[in-house]
Amino acid sequence: MEFLSYFGGVFEPISFLLLLGGTIGGLILGATPGLSPTMAVALLIPFTFHLQPAQGLILLGAAYTSTVAGGAVSAILLKIPGAPANIATSLDGNAMAKKGEGARALHLSFLASGVGGVIGVLLLIFLTPVLAQWALAFSYSHLFWMAILGVTVIGSLDSKSFVKGLLSGCIGLWLSMIGFDDNLGAQRFIFTDALAGGIHIIPALIGLFAIPQVMEMFAKGRANAAIEALEVPKQSFMDSLRELTRNIRALSIGTVFGSIIGIIPGVGGQIAGLVAYDQARKFSPEKEKFGTGHPEGIIAAESANNAMVGPSLVPLLTLSIPGSPTAAVLLGGLIIHGIFPGSDLFDNHPQVAWTFINSMLIGQILMVIFGIYTATWAARIARAPVPIMAAAVMVLALFGSYSVQQSMGDVYIMLSLGVGMFFLEKFGFSAAPLVLGLILGPIAESNFTTGSLIAQAQDGPLLYFMTGPLNMFLIFLVIASVAYSFWSNMVLGKKSVPAEAQS
Amino acid sequence: MTASRLQHIISSGIVLLVATIVTWISFTQEPADAFLFPRLIAIFFIALAVWNFIRAISGLAKVGEGLDMKSFTNIVPGLLVMGVYVFFAAKTLGFYLASTIAFLLIFTIYDPARLDDVKAWVKRAIVTFVFMSVIYGLFALLLKVQTPRGIWF
Amino acid sequence: MNKLIKSIAMGIAGVAMTATAALAADYPERPIGVAVSYGAGGATDFQARIVTMVAGNEDILGQPMYIVNKPGAGGRVGWNWFATEADADGYTLSAYNIPHFVAQSIKGGVQYSKDSFEPIANWGADPAVVVVGKDSKFNTIQELVDFAKANPGKATLSGAGLFVGHHIAALQIEKATEAKFAYIPTKGGGAAAMKAVIAGDVVGGINNLSDAFRAREAGNVKILAVADLQRNEEFLPDVPTLMEAGYDVDNASVNFRGLMVKKGTPQEVIDKLAAKVPEMFANARVVKRMKAGGSPMKIMSRAEVQAMWEKRQETLTELLAGL
Repeated sequence: MEFLSYFGGVFEPISFLLLLGGTIGGLILGATPGLSPTMAVALLIPFTFHLQPAQGLILLGAAYTSTVAGGAVSAILLKIPGAPANIATSLDGNAMAKKGEGARALHLSFLASGVGGVIGVLLLIFLTPVLAQWALAFSYSHLFWMAILGVTVIGSLDSKSFVKGLLSGCIGLWLSMIGFDDNLGAQRFIFTDALAGGIHIIPALIGLFAIPQVMEMFAKGRANAAIEALEVPKQSFMDSLRELTRNIRALSIGTVFGSIIGIIPGVGGQIAGLVAYDQARKFSPEKEKFGTGHPEGIIAAESANNAMVGPSLVPLLTLSIPGSPTAAVLLGGLIIHGIFPGSDLFDNHPQVAWTFINSMLIGQILMVIFGIYTATWAARIARAPVPIMAAAVMVLALFGSYSVQQSMGDVYIMLSLGVGMFFLEKFGFSAAPLVLGLILGPIAESNFTTGSLIAQAQDGPLLYFMTGPLNMFLIFLVIASVAYSFWSNMVLGKKSVPAEAQS
Repeated sequence: MTASRLQHIISSGIVLLVATIVTWISFTQEPADAFLFPRLIAIFFIALAVWNFIRAISGLAKVGEGLDMKSFTNIVPGLLVMGVYVFFAAKTLGFYLASTIAFLLIFTIYDPARLDDVKAWVKRAIVTFVFMSVIYGLFALLLKVQTPRGIWF
Repeated sequence: MNKLIKSIAMGIAGVAMTATAALAADYPERPIGVAVSYGAGGATDFQARIVTMVAGNEDILGQPMYIVNKPGAGGRVGWNWFATEADADGYTLSAYNIPHFVAQSIKGGVQYSKDSFEPIANWGADPAVVVVGKDSKFNTIQELVDFAKANPGKATLSGAGLFVGHHIAALQIEKATEAKFAYIPTKGGGAAAMKAVIAGDVVGGINNLSDAFRAREAGNVKILAVADLQRNEEFLPDVPTLMEAGYDVDNASVNFRGLMVKKGTPQEVIDKLAAKVPEMFANARVVKRMKAGGSPMKIMSRAEVQAMWEKRQETLTELLAGL
């Protein structure tokens, strides 16, 4: 309970102002396409030069938590996930917003984020020493199997056709191989200079999701472009809260999966939302409603995203090992202030460490309040005339994809992938499994190659990858997941989509 | 509406072509070590692509709404503007100038209001100005992103 | 004249380019970007953020510098981008890491070499060190080498990638000790390599002095030796050099970090930067923050860096010739 005595630090005038500013600013940054949490935190580091260490961390911590949640705003309203973490949110969230229930979707997403986030931070406060050992238990072979486990989700994710879902995933895996190979530096599939740097996930995300949206709006043409009379009903907070409590199953699945995946270094929060979404669907009695604006989908995805934040800092704060790209940036922010995280951080700098953690706790709550307060207003975006929306998303896509690495190559990749995706979607392929392939490809490959090298020095690849309780457990999960996919396709699939069941 | 059989055959054919190229490159390029993983993926990729193609030919592929002629003709002008904007104008004219022009063009092309309607032009100009100001404030002032300046801005 | 022909050929774009060149006298009149070829939060990244933080002061450059991360393939992605796509107008700088980019260019497969870039100044020198986990049975470098001699290929050493400083150090150690190690390049830079050591995935590792110093402070690792000519008196006075331990390993793997511009940048711009940037590195606030971060500084002028690049090119060509 030591952390309680440091709550005062959060409520000092300057600290609280920073917390408020970081939270609101983080929500806005997170809602901007192209600004992932990692980038938002990196952009804020120069501001912390002028602050006390604890104050600087409050700003960074608040920004981290709220950008993750803010990414849901553009995912829901524009179907552009602000970061890979929000892909799953866009599947049901945007469908709901298109029905005019954007405010409901935003309410659910902020409430679920808040619950997941608070539980995640509480895990960080109470279980850090235990979790730290757990984070170290994951070695290359385990991370490889984790990635493969993610790959098995591909076929069933947001696709009406099993074979086309898998094929979309394969395209994603292939795209992830483009560029310099990380281990040997060999060039792979580089057809033009723009591809030499490989395909960065954020511009790809913008292209794959935003550009098909824009083209869909073009397709409506001038004649039909009259403003669709879309009602945006006022959403009451109590109704949303009741709806959340009705969906406890999705909320628990999201929180549990988010926390577990968050701890594992190297896999990070990118896939937490997608995995939780997939599990929530498998356990739901209303599977067929997923993807059509189902509240469970939003709740599972968003609670997982924010539950991941707290545990993802465990390896950083105790072992000085950044478990995710954002944690790496936070590490830089700490070192700049002369604070080295490690097992003695809580003894040497309790003021800094606890103030930081407490600020994330308060930040989660502020984020929910602010998010709920503006949701009805923000949801009006859905009523913007089609030509304005198309033009606005197009310009945002350009700025967003450029600002990631300030590279025109990324912008060209963004548009090319987007136009390709538009046509693929018309024939039953989908973007979500493709992005999952793009994310998991490098994780699977690098852990496989590094693991193989270590295995050669030990007892050979077979023993290294196949033995040990954790490996066995993960392999079991992979087999179970594949078996489930086949079973649900063959048996359950026949009822709903007879023509596709044979695939 | 759903896509016709011919459309499915063409789309699956293109995917199969990509898969073939990927497989061919994966198995011919050196060093072999660096292409170990791509080869693994290529095997799955081409197997699935062939399967998908066979399904398309035999008329089993039914998912996807396809593309009708009217939507396609609606898309073409917008796609042209977007292509020129992203691949050419943004860098040569400068991000902000190119974006202003592209925004106005898209808005005008897809706006149902008549082209000789003065009020509609005023509205377009105001919306474009407000939106670009927000973009400028967010990216240039707040985030300090340096964008290509091209000939003007 | 060449510029004139180019501008006609390139049309409108060319006009903009000559205009920039003419304005070199007023340089800089807008913020300057610094491309870092490693991810945000890595040692190169946060050091670059510290050493550029006072660029906006009126007595230095009067315009701030901002960091753009272009990570990938051990730095190849970022430097390739810099050599091929960046504008040579002085508004895009890049952080260099020696011996990384020189070794990569010797090894081939990239579109840059030492001659693609013009150094401005050097800010830091981070020697490679040999680390083992805190519970490792090895307490001296000799014990580790003896183990590797007795078990050829079993002594795994993690490092940040192929043909970076860590790899060079590992190659030199192998050559000097005639023991066979298994060098394991990890994806994710020095931090991932350090994680492998702490978690016990590998027998030992090569890492940056600055990161290893912090990991030791946190009680996670033991540092066995430094691959430099002298001991590091500031941070690790108790750790012997490999030379002292009796292995002929010099300072070729020391990670020098500094700023450079692309070849073809106007000479006035290079001169202005070369005069002002070392001042910026030496700023009291910068030095204080670098020391607090456990990052050894070594400020070198443009001429000194040019000589150092030449020398590294020679030694690395020789070292890598046998591979």
